[in-house]
Amino acid sequence: MSGVEDIFRLLFTANLWQATLAAAVLLLLPALGGVISERSGVVNIAMEGMMLTGAFFAVVADLAWHNAWLATGVAVLAGALMATIHAVVSIQFRADQIVSGIAINIFAAGLTVFLVNRIYGIQDIGHVTPSESLPYINVGGLDQIPFVGKVLFQQNVVVYMALVLLVLVHVVLFRTRLGLRIRAVGEHPQAADTAGINVYLIRYSAVITSGLLSGLAGAFLAIGVSNTFVPNMTDGRGYIALAAMIFGKWTPVGAFIACVIFGLGEAIYDNNSIIHVSPYLLSMLPYILTLVVLAGLVGRSTPPAADGLPYVPGSE
Amino acid sequence: MPPIVRRLAGGLAMPFGSVVFAFVVGALIVGVTGANPFSAYAGLICGGLGIGCTQGENPALEISNTIVFVIPLITTGVAVALPFRAGLFNIGAEGQLLAGSMACAAIGIKFNTLPSPILLPMVLLGGMAAGAVWAGIPGVLKAVVGAHEVVTTIMLNYVAQWLLRFLIIGGPLQLGPGTSKSLPIGDGARLATLLPADNSLIVLGLPSSVFRVHTGLLIALAAAALFAFLLWRTSFGYEIRAVGQSQKAARYAGVSVRRTIILTMLIAGAFSGLAGAIQIAGVDHNLTDKYFSDTTGFDAIAVALLGLGSAVGIVLASVLFGALHSGGAIMQSDAGISSNLVLVLQALILFSIAANFVGAIRRGLPIGRKPSALPPELPPAAGLMSEAATAPPETA
Repeated sequence: MSGVEDIFRLLFTANLWQATLAAAVLLLLPALGGVISERSGVVNIAMEGMMLTGAFFAVVADLAWHNAWLATGVAVLAGALMATIHAVVSIQFRADQIVSGIAINIFAAGLTVFLVNRIYGIQDIGHVTPSESLPYINVGGLDQIPFVGKVLFQQNVVVYMALVLLVLVHVVLFRTRLGLRIRAVGEHPQAADTAGINVYLIRYSAVITSGLLSGLAGAFLAIGVSNTFVPNMTDGRGYIALAAMIFGKWTPVGAFIACVIFGLGEAIYDNNSIIHVSPYLLSMLPYILTLVVLAGLVGRSTPPAADGLPYVPGSE
Repeated sequence: MPPIVRRLAGGLAMPFGSVVFAFVVGALIVGVTGANPFSAYAGLICGGLGIGCTQGENPALEISNTIVFVIPLITTGVAVALPFRAGLFNIGAEGQLLAGSMACAAIGIKFNTLPSPILLPMVLLGGMAAGAVWAGIPGVLKAVVGAHEVVTTIMLNYVAQWLLRFLIIGGPLQLGPGTSKSLPIGDGARLATLLPADNSLIVLGLPSSVFRVHTGLLIALAAAALFAFLLWRTSFGYEIRAVGQSQKAARYAGVSVRRTIILTMLIAGAFSGLAGAIQIAGVDHNLTDKYFSDTTGFDAIAVALLGLGSAVGIVLASVLFGALHSGGAIMQSDAGISSNLVLVLQALILFSIAANFVGAIRRGLPIGRKPSALPPELPPAAGLMSEAATAPPETA
């Protein structure tokens, strides 16, 4: 079977792991946002929509101002704005957080295409090529290390940012007072409130942070990876990020490991010239793996205790 | 005002208020981007209801097109509403619909020479079975290990989508190399149109063959009636409602929570699968790449919520969303406004229902006030979420 040998040889190429890390980061950013939001007790299935909004506004801003960093800033803010809607509806109005999340995703899908047609005309479906994009940076010296150099130090600038954010989120959640407060609010908001923690403030900040991170992922996708906006271009990545969050048992590091596994799958089927399995069948893998994890076959995955429950001050 | 009228008005304020809210905010969005909201909505009304058309559209044809959209919305709306009553949130109607359409197409292609009295029941039942399996997996996972059905049904939506791509692009159902559609199903697997498919017969100014409205309408209405009967007139319906109100209380009353969860999901999946099968048997006659971007199963969530989980409400809400989707095309061609505005309106309706803006306006805005708990009109799914997510519902 030369096919198996080919896959084996592929696994030892630096190109594959370079692509894996880039694909993983695209999932990691929204997944980290999901971890923060759900640790604070707000269910977030809206990463898909926040990411799509970020992608769209990144392209619009880049076309207008020809500056990738400015465009990234706009994308991050756009993601945060969508998250703010989710926060207001689900924290202030105590809406069902899943319905609100679905509404965000539908809203983003509809609004982006509607705006493409308003801004660029109904004939043009919105394939716009930015003149500036987020740069790929080779870290001087380190990028010459065999194998590792190519995988870790010849990447898009967002990849480095994401790895820093991964460490940051892990440290903040598990090594600081703020992290303890976030987790307390997600596990037992009544107790946290009694202890003097502002439940609403923590939850608002956590949800909006998830929007910032998803918006950044959208910018990476639109003006780093593909340099265009296509309707519905996130193509389920926000939901794979959700899967990665659950797969990683609501921890940043666990989510990262899941993202690498899912990213590896994506990188392998991008090399599908040597794979004889349909790429469409391979695309199912992240979802099926997550179902397996949820089935309890690889250990239980339990969400924070107050995840999804609106907090009503003074309630039991 | 008699109490019954007041109660009715109170119950209807939420759905109607939500729709009004969506259209007002939608008009603002259209206006802010420099277009005319009145011409946009005129296009929607013409395309959806056949009223006030200015570009020579045939009203009967527009209504027929709307009904074609309404049919799968009713059936999938029921598939979301039934689990709602048991405290389960079925986001997987889309995946179940796709499973049903794939099974229907596979059977309809494989046995394409069989006569209609045999093949038609086969494809419809096959679609129901496939949908039931697709919803049964989350049902079993929920009942046995407590895996949250929201997450599992989302995952299965994507599995179904990729399976569909595999089947019709390079897979066993592909029409031919380079295409992204399946072979057509046999003639015996097709649902008849309500009007004869005859080019020489002129109905309301058009050849009767252009009216695509089909007998699936009767099946969908029967499904809605069956839903109401099952829920309110059978002991199983009582068990569903008992589990939805309180799993603990239901258990003390002798209801098997596990069995109820699994059966509810199986039945819901069968309804969604039926919707998918009807789309293939009644409208498309083959699987195409347009199913990649199908949103019926998500629209169904809005239908179930807006319809307040009742059969009549589901039918009415389906007519609204069917008219919006059908009208979107006319709005795009007549007023030059992207049909995606319909998605924006739908999202706004969902926000409004979920947050109960209408109730909030009535009470005064909740900021800084002591609130009542969740919006009372919503089905009891949300409250059970953490209870169900952390522990298996029953330890036998």
